[in-house]
Amino acid sequence: MISLIFFYIFAVLIVISAIFVVISKNIYYSALWLALTLFSVAGVFILLNAYFLAGIQVLIYIGAVVVLTIFVINLTKEIEGKKEKQHNKQVIPALLASLTGAVLIILAVLKTDWSSRIINWTAYDETAKLGNFLLADFVIPFEAASVLLLIALIGSIAIVSLDKENK
Amino acid sequence: MLTLMHFIILSVILFFIGIFGVLTRRNAIGILMSLELIFNAININMVAFSKFLTPQEIYGVIFTVFIITVAAAESVLGLAIILAIYRSGQKIFADEMNLMKW
Repeated sequence: MISLIFFYIFAVLIVISAIFVVISKNIYYSALWLALTLFSVAGVFILLNAYFLAGIQVLIYIGAVVVLTIFVINLTKEIEGKKEKQHNKQVIPALLASLTGAVLIILAVLKTDWSSRIINWTAYDETAKLGNFLLADFVIPFEAASVLLLIALIGSIAIVSLDKENK
Repeated sequence: MLTLMHFIILSVILFFIGIFGVLTRRNAIGILMSLELIFNAININMVAFSKFLTPQEIYGVIFTVFIITVAAAESVLGLAIILAIYRSGQKIFADEMNLMKW
């Protein structure tokens, strides 16, 4: 029962702050609302007993991605004034398309019979199991992910500094 | 009682808010932020299905770890490209970029 109350609190926070991320006129406020959305998603992960995911959600998304986004917003500040329109002309078609898709999928979800497939879920912390899996069964994707991060690091430095040499 | 339905509906709503943002934002940074919303909707969906349908396996959680890794790399590269475009004198509004047009 208490988890249901917390779920609704987090769900309302997620939906409201995500809408503000999308419709906010000032892109800087939009990044701050994004931090609130990601934090509430971490709360939803805790409700799902995925504590490790909640931790890395806060560390990577809020600590790295949002901070990086705010840095880039500040570096490109001059053209972010309130005079520039932040939305293009296809607001109404996009709204119709998103609403149609959302209503269709929600109707399909409500009509599906999940009860035969749901196994009663027992709350336990699986962080130790996750570590074992990551370093035993999933060790090759794990190493590939580290190579991917290295490539992204070198690539972003190369992209940003290549431009300076050309000038 | 929390059911799978709650989590799926939440993730659908979050996903389509992100789609709306990708379709309507002019600023490329705003488009990247809407992409983060979409990634988070997918993550909620994956963890919920993994917890409710196969509670003994944790493959959904492991995939979410990899999705978060790839999303961080994608965000870094996207922001680097936006910064490079901005410093080459172009505007970073998605409907005014014409760097690759000739």
